[in-house]
Amino acid sequence: MTAQMIENILQALAAGLLAGAIYGLMCVGLGLIFGVMRVINFAHGDFMMLGMYAAWFLFGALGIQAVAGSLIGPYIAILLAGPLLFLFGYVVHKALISRVTGTRTAQLDGEGHYAQLILTLGIALVLQNGGMIVFGSELHSIRTPLSSSAWELGPVWGDFISIFVNKSRGIAALFSIATIVVLALMIARSRLGKSLRAAADNPEAATYMGIDVDQAHRIAFALGVGITAIAGGLLATNYPFQPYIGLEYVIVMYAGVVLGGMGSIVGAFWGGMTIGLVQQLSTLILPTQLQNAAIFVVFLLIVFLRPQGFFGRVVERT
Amino acid sequence: MLRLENVLAGYSAVPVLRDVSLSVDAGQFVAVVGPNGAGKTSLFKTISGILQPRQGRITFEGVDLASVPPSGRAHLGIAHVPEGRQVFPSLSVLENLEMGAYTAAGQRDWKHNIERIFTWLPVLAERRAQFAGTLSGGEQQMVAIGRGLASSPKLLMLDEPSMGLAPAIADFIFEKLIEIRRDTGLTILLVEQRVAEALESADHGYVLEAGRVVLEGDNTTLRADDRVRQAYLGM
Ligand SMILES: Nc1ncnc2c1ncn2[C@@H]1O[C@H](COP(=O)(O)OP(=O)(O)O)[C@@H](O)[C@H]1O
Ligand SMILES: [Mg+2]
Repeated sequence: MTAQMIENILQALAAGLLAGAIYGLMCVGLGLIFGVMRVINFAHGDFMMLGMYAAWFLFGALGIQAVAGSLIGPYIAILLAGPLLFLFGYVVHKALISRVTGTRTAQLDGEGHYAQLILTLGIALVLQNGGMIVFGSELHSIRTPLSSSAWELGPVWGDFISIFVNKSRGIAALFSIATIVVLALMIARSRLGKSLRAAADNPEAATYMGIDVDQAHRIAFALGVGITAIAGGLLATNYPFQPYIGLEYVIVMYAGVVLGGMGSIVGAFWGGMTIGLVQQLSTLILPTQLQNAAIFVVFLLIVFLRPQGFFGRVVERT
Repeated sequence: MLRLENVLAGYSAVPVLRDVSLSVDAGQFVAVVGPNGAGKTSLFKTISGILQPRQGRITFEGVDLASVPPSGRAHLGIAHVPEGRQVFPSLSVLENLEMGAYTAAGQRDWKHNIERIFTWLPVLAERRAQFAGTLSGGEQQMVAIGRGLASSPKLLMLDEPSMGLAPAIADFIFEKLIEIRRDTGLTILLVEQRVAEALESADHGYVLEAGRVVLEGDNTTLRADDRVRQAYLGM
């Protein structure tokens, strides 16, 4: 093996970790919704798209760049896109999703799963096409001066091998991991987090405790949307986007959440991380167009070999 | 304290409770007995709001429960320890108890309550960090009871706390309930298959059959009743 090959492998590994950290955050958002509500949200990629536009507007048109500058401005805009999309998710749940989920589903066919499928697909279509009408098909991105500079790790192993980490991707990955840590602590320690887990474990018993399960669902849904919006904003500092971008990532998100064992937050993160690594490492042997094919192959293998995911719940929901 | 008047309730079209009237006064220990499928669990679900009465009225301390959403009833002071325990499996024992204390009263009295719960049920203190889903049936029942007590309830409703437990464990749970009641004077509504024990300890009892109250009375009247003696006490 030549130094060049080793360098390529390490470089792909680094790229995979960086992409994986952001995929992990997206997956955590989707996984939170699935874990608490048991609802398959097909519009999740499109909520992420809205998060990207929200961060982009906040940064440019709404003046954060002018106030905070180009260096930290993007991250302030991304951080604000989270609560903005939280509110949007809250309203969408209240107006639409709550009609086919939660305590009302007892009376619906298939516990409301058909209605949920149709509703979230419908929301996805409205957001994609509405986005096209409102934002147009032009590609945008959140430009940061950091995206054109890199940290050099190395040279390691004599003078032969160096790995370059793009600064804006590196910061996006750290931002993403910090967000997950805050969320995970909140879910593990706070009263709100515990009540969300209780509502997920057993909605009926949670009601007996005085927990409003529909409200818990609303908060989980809004949090999931807000978290994924932040992931979208981070992605937008490195990749251009347009209104249909959700379609590309909803696959990544589902693959990650299923790999992570449906319903575990830490699992969803590692699922997303795995997808990032597979995607980037596959470029070593496959043409770039086949990156997503590699994701599917690994996804199918894991579903066949370990359907409960890497991080399947220790105890099953009753 | 709790009063049901001519309640009719059920799942979809079929009523499983018909014309049920029942009342529990403050400080009373009331038992509901009856065969499997009589509607005892449905009665509790109706009080907790999971089932809505189609006729009749339920009041708690004078408040008409029709105007209180299911999740609001715990906050009024009704604790429901459900059939089959229904602990939160992926929460620790302590977190289960914390969820019991989700009500304002439960939060206010948390320190005092948790101390007493651990005194009555020391195994919960030992297992406080363990996932509730990994406990034995008897231990899960103790979690469910502790969780109910942690809300500082005015009324504790217990649905077959001995269900599916080995006789020795069921005896233990029953003795604990008697002890807790002796220590606190808590108002209790109990559904139980162990009719002899239930009727012995309770002040007042109801016999529910096929969704109707077929008999009610105080402790001595019920235990002297021929139908009860034959059907439930095996005499
Ligand atoms: N979820 C449900 N849907 C429809 N019918 C039910 C449901 N749960 C219970 N039932 C019916 O209601 C009746 C009363 O059941 P239940 O209240 O569980 O009785 P018990 O607790 O006295 O054994 C039974 O005939 C039972 O089959
Ligand atoms: Mg029952």
